[in-house]
Amino acid sequence: MVNYGGDEVSALVIDIGSSSLRAGYAGDDAPKAIIPTSYGYTLSPSDGDVTMGDNGSSGPKKEIFVGQNGPSIWRERMEIANPMVDGLIQDFFPIKPLIEHALENVMRVNASEHPVLVTEPAWNTPANRERMAEIMFEEFNVPAFYIANTGVLNAFASGKGTALVVDVGQTMASITPVVDGFVLRKGLVYSPLPKLVQAQARHILSRQPNILVPHQLIASKNPVEMNMPPDFIPRQDRLSGTTESWRKWAEDREIEEWVQSVAGVLEQGWNDHLANARPPKQYEFPTGFNTYFGYERFQVGEQFFMHSPQLLASNPHLPKHIPALASESLRTLESELRQVLLGNIVLTGGGTLFHGFAERLSAELSRLVSHHKIHAPGNPIERRYGGWLGGSILASLGTFHQLWISKEEWQEHGKAIVGQRCK
Amino acid sequence: MAASAADIRSALQLPDHSQEQGPSQPKKQPASGTRKPEGIPRELYALIGPQAPTLAAQLSKPRFKAKPKLGSVSAKSKWEWKTFKNGARNDGLMLGHWEKVAKDNGDEMSTEPDPSNEYKFAKYNIPPPAWNYTEDEYTRWLNDDNWSKEETDYLFKLVMEYDSRWYIVHDRYEYPGGSERSMEASCCVCRKLIRNRPWNGEESARAAMLSSFQFDKDRELLRKKYIQSLENRTPEQVAEEEALYIELKRLEQTERRFKRERENLLRTLAGMDSGLPDIVEDDGVSLGIIGAEPPKKKKKGTLLEAESPATPTPSSAYPAVKKQSTKDAAYDALHCIIRTDGPVTGSATKAAHQPAYLRSFKLPTPKPAILPKVTQALAELGITHTRLVMPTKDNVAHLEALVDATTALIETKRVSDKLDLDINVVKERIAMRRRSISRDAAEGAGGKDGMDVDGHDREGETEGEDGRAQSVASIRSGRNRKHVSSF
Repeated sequence: MVNYGGDEVSALVIDIGSSSLRAGYAGDDAPKAIIPTSYGYTLSPSDGDVTMGDNGSSGPKKEIFVGQNGPSIWRERMEIANPMVDGLIQDFFPIKPLIEHALENVMRVNASEHPVLVTEPAWNTPANRERMAEIMFEEFNVPAFYIANTGVLNAFASGKGTALVVDVGQTMASITPVVDGFVLRKGLVYSPLPKLVQAQARHILSRQPNILVPHQLIASKNPVEMNMPPDFIPRQDRLSGTTESWRKWAEDREIEEWVQSVAGVLEQGWNDHLANARPPKQYEFPTGFNTYFGYERFQVGEQFFMHSPQLLASNPHLPKHIPALASESLRTLESELRQVLLGNIVLTGGGTLFHGFAERLSAELSRLVSHHKIHAPGNPIERRYGGWLGGSILASLGTFHQLWISKEEWQEHGKAIVGQRCK
Repeated sequence: MAASAADIRSALQLPDHSQEQGPSQPKKQPASGTRKPEGIPRELYALIGPQAPTLAAQLSKPRFKAKPKLGSVSAKSKWEWKTFKNGARNDGLMLGHWEKVAKDNGDEMSTEPDPSNEYKFAKYNIPPPAWNYTEDEYTRWLNDDNWSKEETDYLFKLVMEYDSRWYIVHDRYEYPGGSERSMEASCCVCRKLIRNRPWNGEESARAAMLSSFQFDKDRELLRKKYIQSLENRTPEQVAEEEALYIELKRLEQTERRFKRERENLLRTLAGMDSGLPDIVEDDGVSLGIIGAEPPKKKKKGTLLEAESPATPTPSSAYPAVKKQSTKDAAYDALHCIIRTDGPVTGSATKAAHQPAYLRSFKLPTPKPAILPKVTQALAELGITHTRLVMPTKDNVAHLEALVDATTALIETKRVSDKLDLDINVVKERIAMRRRSISRDAAEGAGGKDGMDVDGHDREGETEGEDGRAQSVASIRSGRNRKHVSSF
């Protein structure tokens, strides 16, 4: 037991990302509960008029739908929202219901009996982490709390204390230099690059009309030949009650599904000839429309590494692509650290699961530097939930237990203790 | 006989196997009464016969896997959820974990929680040795125009917070003025504290502590510059370096081959043994790698830092040769270290490697051909050249000079002896010729040639002692001999 320094105190680990919230026991190798971070809500019509006068504090009057049966089930006039903006929690109102759902409905645990470790992105604000501590101590009554950095945790998940963590999530791409378990803040760079990738995918798919109709709005459909217009009957009864935000969310999901099954990255950089030479992939949409996608599927992933000149010309404020982020981060580092970090690059996040991503990153980096080594977990669970996994490792270490912020300390020192303890 | 035994057998449809046994051997019939038991190979049964029933029984016994000992008391261990207090914490947080309950007093343990038991991970909570100072100490020793008290305080807080991880301190340093000088300042303060505080322990420990806080900013900057330049090499430069390295290796190889061939040649033609010192010297000189000094002079004091095959360590950023030549020159002069150019090439092969040796082991010796003469000559002077009481560098040089001089002397003596002999012989012949000439002249037949030779010879005789003249004389005398023989 002492050999690996583990001592499990049945801590819980909660990792909140833009796409999903992961929760589970420390010491496990995968989270027990994975629920979407997006949530649905309806404003109850009876209170609607009354709350108008309440100066917009419509929080308690919302009926909230979270979890696997939350946003994905069609409800009349249900709006969809996401508390995360650029990887940070912007709206704390749904955080409690989300965590509650994950812990109590999915995992069936009582948070007041377990120490809880929560993750945060490296660019989190002090106010945000203090608010999180407040929620955990005051709402969930946890005995102990700790907030750890996802960059550090991703490095830990790969068994490294010093690493250059390349994390591509659903909304943010970031490069975090980690040295001895501390983030070098001057070398931290991030950009909302995945959003651009999504936009590109949407752009490609919107060439066909009605391609993104979600299955919840389809009453029946008939199989059609390839490239033929779809033959389906929409659910007329639902069309009027569908909100704009729900529709957008459902379409985004369709896009994501398409991206996940079709899109890829050319390993050696963009080349029209090579892209056309790759075998096309067939994909069928919920409407029944099906077609082959050839070079388009590589255009999507290409956005991570290169912006076309016309795109740059049309939009001067494009998010930085990954080679730009990498060179920016490396520039801030001391040369001796650079060597160490380049030998320990950790690739993580669901956005890196594009076919050929690691090879392409390696090719791009070899243009920047002479030597580097990329560690990319092959297991998709480890790749997507690296932050949670690192938290699971950290919170089950015997030597870590002295770092918990206990309820006693919280009551004694207040919010300041969070900044002091969690560096 | 027309039909063989096999033919008859086949005609009678008898089994053919008796051929191996030979016709003379009586065919052993297996005992028809006892059947071959199961589990014995046929060949084995044929050998041991039916009289090993016990063995057969053992072999044929069916064997099952050993039964797992389920439910046995020893395999079961009891685990218990227990709360504990972490000694490394300042507050009273009680966490719980599963603990193995000791078997012998398992019953008592459940009733008696042992809070005094030290948490086993608490011992890893070791705070790093942090230096701090009091107000008084600061005002007395640490006042510095470049550093305000506030910034020093801030720096020390940061250093303590991040356990002297300088990369992190450097990253998090937010005091106006920048973090570049933070490490230097911290080291400086620590040094001052160590120097000025009363010290209870040994003085050497104090010195060691001081040196551990030694921080040379210029050197650090230089090191960083080296790393930078190493990193900023263009691909062409890297390729060129590589090519040069390969070229060097190739040269070395050629040199080795050349040496080997020459040694072989010398051994076969001159009968000399390989590994002659002058050959080794020659090699170095001819390639211009080793200086004019033979690679023999090495102070005893430098034995410990003997020349190792200069494989550059990966951490050393700049070439090792450069380091030696520039930086250590002053150091060497100060400590009377004399470096001999060893395997500069940096190859780790055995052939190129010259191990460390004591100078007294490699005293200069004359060539084996003239060794006894040298020994004799020196013995006449009361000198033994094989032993040197004080083999310092200078003494060895002197001894070498002496041996060289003796060798030269003996060589000269040998030549002069030979010449004396030649001269005597020639004189003898001239005398003989004179006699014969005078006899001829008396007979009335004079030769012009003979007169010429005569004149030359006389000239040679007059110039006498000079070596050069002697050699000239010897040549002439040789010519004379020809004349004489042709005569």
